[in-house]
Amino acid sequence: MTLLVAVADAGADRAVVRAARALAAAAGWEVRGVHVREPDVPEPASADLGELDLITVDGEPVEVLSALVRRTTVDAVAFGLSCPSASSPGTWVLGHVAEALLDNHVAPVLLVRPGMRTLTRLRRLVVPLEGSPSSSAAMRAADEAFCARGREILMLHVVTGDVPDEAGSLPAPRIMDQEHYEWPAWQDEFTLRFSQCPKGGRHRIAVRVGDPATVIAEEADTGAADLIVLSWSGSFESGHGAVIKELLVTAPCPLLLVPSGLPDAASLT
Amino acid sequence: MASAGDRVEERGEKARARELERALEREFSVVCFAWDGTAVAHRGADAAAVRSRVERLTALGVDIAVISSAGVREVDHHLGARPGVEGRLFLFLSRGSETYVVGPAGPRLLERWRATASEYEGLDEAAEALCRRLASAGLQVDLVRDRLNRRSLDLLPDWAGPPGASALELRREVDARLNAAGFPGGLEEGIRLARDLVREAGVAHAAVTSDARHIDLGLTGKADAMHAVARVLVAGRGRAPEDVLVVGDSFGPVADGQGTDSAMLIPELQRSVFVSVGQEPAGVPSPVLHGGGGPVRFLDILHDQLAMREIVAQTSFPEPTDDPGWRFEVKGFDPFREREVETWLTVANGETGTRGALEEGSAISTPATFVAGVYGDGTGDPAFRQPVPAPDWTGLRLMADGSLVTLANGEIVDHERVLDLRHGVVYRTWRQRLRNGRTIRVRTARFASLADRELMAARAEAVPEDFGARIVWQSAIGVTHAGGSIKETEIDILEDPPGLIARTRGRNGGGHVLAVTTSPAPGSPVARMPQQARDVIGGRLEQGDPATVDRLAAIVSARTRVPSPEVARHALERARDTGFDALLERHRAAWDAAWAAADLRVDGDPEDQHALRFAIYHMISTAHPEKDTVSIGARGLGGMSYFLHVFWDTEIFVLPFFIYTQPETALTMLTYRYRNLPGAREKAARMGFRGALYPWESADKGVETTPPYVYGPDGEQVPILSGLMEHHISADVAWAVWEYWKATGDDAFMVDKGAEMLLETARFWVSRAAEDEEGRYHVRVVVGPDEYHEGVDDNAYTNVLARWNIKRALEALAWLDDHDRARARELRKRLKLAGRELARWRRVMEGYVTGFDPETLLFEQFAGFYDMADVPLERLRPRPMAADLLLGRDVTLVSKVVKQADVVMLCHVLADEIDEATTRANYDYYEPITSHGSSLSPGIHAAVAARLHDVAEATSYFKMAAAIDLGDNMGNAAAGLHMATMGGLWQAAVMGFCGIMRRGEALRLDPQLPAAWSRVRLPLRFRGAQLHLDLRRHGDGVDVGITVAEEPVTFRLDGVDHELTPGAHRLRRRDGGPWRVEAL
Repeated sequence: MTLLVAVADAGADRAVVRAARALAAAAGWEVRGVHVREPDVPEPASADLGELDLITVDGEPVEVLSALVRRTTVDAVAFGLSCPSASSPGTWVLGHVAEALLDNHVAPVLLVRPGMRTLTRLRRLVVPLEGSPSSSAAMRAADEAFCARGREILMLHVVTGDVPDEAGSLPAPRIMDQEHYEWPAWQDEFTLRFSQCPKGGRHRIAVRVGDPATVIAEEADTGAADLIVLSWSGSFESGHGAVIKELLVTAPCPLLLVPSGLPDAASLT
Repeated sequence: MASAGDRVEERGEKARARELERALEREFSVVCFAWDGTAVAHRGADAAAVRSRVERLTALGVDIAVISSAGVREVDHHLGARPGVEGRLFLFLSRGSETYVVGPAGPRLLERWRATASEYEGLDEAAEALCRRLASAGLQVDLVRDRLNRRSLDLLPDWAGPPGASALELRREVDARLNAAGFPGGLEEGIRLARDLVREAGVAHAAVTSDARHIDLGLTGKADAMHAVARVLVAGRGRAPEDVLVVGDSFGPVADGQGTDSAMLIPELQRSVFVSVGQEPAGVPSPVLHGGGGPVRFLDILHDQLAMREIVAQTSFPEPTDDPGWRFEVKGFDPFREREVETWLTVANGETGTRGALEEGSAISTPATFVAGVYGDGTGDPAFRQPVPAPDWTGLRLMADGSLVTLANGEIVDHERVLDLRHGVVYRTWRQRLRNGRTIRVRTARFASLADRELMAARAEAVPEDFGARIVWQSAIGVTHAGGSIKETEIDILEDPPGLIARTRGRNGGGHVLAVTTSPAPGSPVARMPQQARDVIGGRLEQGDPATVDRLAAIVSARTRVPSPEVARHALERARDTGFDALLERHRAAWDAAWAAADLRVDGDPEDQHALRFAIYHMISTAHPEKDTVSIGARGLGGMSYFLHVFWDTEIFVLPFFIYTQPETALTMLTYRYRNLPGAREKAARMGFRGALYPWESADKGVETTPPYVYGPDGEQVPILSGLMEHHISADVAWAVWEYWKATGDDAFMVDKGAEMLLETARFWVSRAAEDEEGRYHVRVVVGPDEYHEGVDDNAYTNVLARWNIKRALEALAWLDDHDRARARELRKRLKLAGRELARWRRVMEGYVTGFDPETLLFEQFAGFYDMADVPLERLRPRPMAADLLLGRDVTLVSKVVKQADVVMLCHVLADEIDEATTRANYDYYEPITSHGSSLSPGIHAAVAARLHDVAEATSYFKMAAAIDLGDNMGNAAAGLHMATMGGLWQAAVMGFCGIMRRGEALRLDPQLPAAWSRVRLPLRFRGAQLHLDLRRHGDGVDVGITVAEEPVTFRLDGVDHELTPGAHRLRRRDGGPWRVEAL
């Protein structure tokens, strides 16, 4: 099980490497770096990256990385965000390679933007959940990789008034006959439905009302979260994608994007 | 050497025997037999064998008709059969004068025909004359008068012969005595003489018959009994005469005439099979088949009928109905919805409710069995009264060659579960390809018996499809995932019957004993494995062999202690002695009876039909018709989320269904509230009021059970005000009392209980009201149905219903003064209700502030409502929505956003007092600002909108209500069903769309069927009448067929009362015009 760090520039990617190492330590993964040679771009040195086990390869980056992920036991890939234009310094974008990997649902992607809270030890995670089965992939990934004693996972449900159409969804209650019973029952069901953590990690549920991107960033900030885990459904232009696009700029800590999708039914039993 | 004649006779006998054998080689739906001489040799004979066969046959769905000239005391005492459910065993007695149906409690009279006084005089005259004639000849005879519609002369009163003497022996003795007395023609002459005397006495229509020992002069006979059999059991149940087997012992000639059983050969049953087990010395008339052998042969005939059925039962697995209108299907397996599925598939019977969890369990399963009415103290903070759930009895684990068969082992090939709504059974069919590539097929059927409420049962079958294997079923009692009040659970091995027994004790409360046994199903090639530690059944099976087990469970409970394990063991023995198949048959019969009283058939919209049947199924299965220590909790018996607490949901939303379909059950539910009157008095007193203030949440003790606070998500303590302030519950109970009384005419209830409940709740409202300087009365600091606004003054729903409560209490007391003066006096004395207090009640009632403006026709929901901030309506979309969550509690508290029907609810419950114009005004005002953040709201809005002829809107609300528990993306049902929604759906359909609502002691009818509904059929009970209504859309109008039975009923049509007498009627309305009424 490996976390692959895509390294372009040793200086810019030092934070990415640190974050990747913290994540891998939490999940029990190995960390390896990969640099795809580009003309006129100096190759980073392993020593500059904390003695990262770094391989250098040639080829088209998307193809190379996709092939690496498929051929080896790579569980996630880490990227640094880039600012495409010096004239618009607040605009952080996902590079085309990261975006291609996400589009092809190849593997989860860890994104680190310069200025984010440095991830050195994974103690608190925020997992936003809209309450639909497919988007709960983020929670399953978090449970599988990071659920442990001493580590807090906040299942954050942001209420917007929209209701997922997907069968099996469990948004915040639209019907609350007696609040003092409905909320505990909903929380129990929300946990049972979207989380399976046998290892003793502490899950908290928080329900907030508002703009999802704003609320997620605020919760991660006030809660000193080390990582936000999100489902990725394939587009920045609508739904979760638009939220993620905003969080690329505003999130106080790294983001782990997990391709959304439904698990095998039997595996949950 | 045998002669040719002997050989011909022998061939004839063999042919007749073969004919008889062929005729009896099939199953009959009705077995009808004479009692004396056929089933038993004589009155003192042991009838245990007959009794056992009769009970087993009725359990398997066979109708039994017993024919006898004797009365019920003799026959029932002798036969003593007690079928598990009423409606299969009938006694046609007193020579066709009486018909009884026998159930678990014994015989119940259905019909009796009585001769006129002059007819009795004629019979007496003829009988006495015959006695005198015989006595004058020195013959001692006894005249038996205590026979219904006949007189009987015993010609051998001093008979000392064997009690089982044949007709031939008796005939010889009678002839000898009569000959000696100067009647050379013997019995024949005696019968001729009796006929002459009958004619002379003017009762020529009386029949004179004889069984050799008696001469009977009767106005009814066995033919009358058989006509009743044909009417009740053949035509009445849609059967053919070929389905009937009739057994007697005296069809052939006796003396001057035919045997008494020849009267059973009536034209309607000429295609039935008639068999004689008697001696029949003179042969039998066509079409009777002669078998002989007497009662012993008769027992063999019954045995063969049993054996045919039990063989079928042994080798067949029960199947759900094919009718899609009765199937609630869950195809595949979706782990995200599994808890909702478990709730939907709950099997319950009012005593217990068992969630539809997987037998083998899983990481996402939440099995639980709830027992109504048994509570204990919860732990945690705050502590409050919680149910004591039973352990999970459904656990069955399947091993194939040592490998556990679960959904996670390999691949699901097929998986389907079906709740057969018709018969309350959950079926599962499942094919799994295991990791080793082999496929196994599993079927299960599970139910909680509606016929015997302590018992639950399941059958499970595993078939290795493409391999031979060692198949093992392991039984287990599991820990319920429900939580609740459990102090301790002890699980032990049960020796006899072999199985497991678990005792559960609640904290400071009641407890249960659950006893479970699992055994090989009849005919299955598996056996118990006694060397195993647990309840294990299995064996080595070839490909295609079924490993089938029956799992039987009994739960016995008590409210303040743990029952003795022996009681559970005896109940389990009862289940085992009955067997799975017979238990299932009785259970099905009980559901047949329940649906006959309550089914609501909708043509044109299968989804709506399904939603209604789903709702009715869960209401029926959650109610207990007999136990008044329990009522229906807000979430039924399938989930823990509301701790089985009872709210106003029961009286306002669910009870009307029972009032109009099963009033006996409604009475039991109201008696629960009567029993809890002391707790209500206590709550009122504790809060400084008089009278009775019912708890907002009720459990077992009738005291307030609402938790006082809860901890919010951030750990803050949040007070819960409903227990302190939501007082309308008292008026809701009073409303239910009045509604029940008016809809049933049950004066005895009003005398015994209802009046007291009305008076005490009225007293509370008088004490609750605070007078202002202008002499008006206010109810301050309450919570109305709209719980977004707490601590308000003069909530319209509360105040108007409070005033109504006082008014009805005064009326009830005045009625009681007229109807039962002694009880009225007793109540006044016991409640210390003096005239001065009652005068104050009238003053307070008249001064009660209602918030009604006669100009706008609006009720202000509470004082100051109109001054609250408006909220743009687009912020209240889509509905339903929890507006307090989305907009924030600080917004909803100060704005005109209504959680649920409040004033609209008032317009519904007091529909017979609040006119249409007022209802329209208030509906138009409040509907747009109602968020429906409560499951109680949409159904009522549907009912009111329909009443206002807004059918499209009503339909939309109906579907919103139906989606609350069944919708794909809400998940509300995971921890229990919304019983108020169930009741609301029924009210929307019946009171809204069918437009059937009580007005005084009449029923108003104003159907407004949804566009897709072409026809609605339903039964209703009203003031002693049994109604069957058939509403059919006819263009823009409607045709309504109404069959009235038992009592007349008054319908109010276009404001005019029409009394419909028992019989068939048709009502028609076209294009908004007036009703036309026809009696058919």
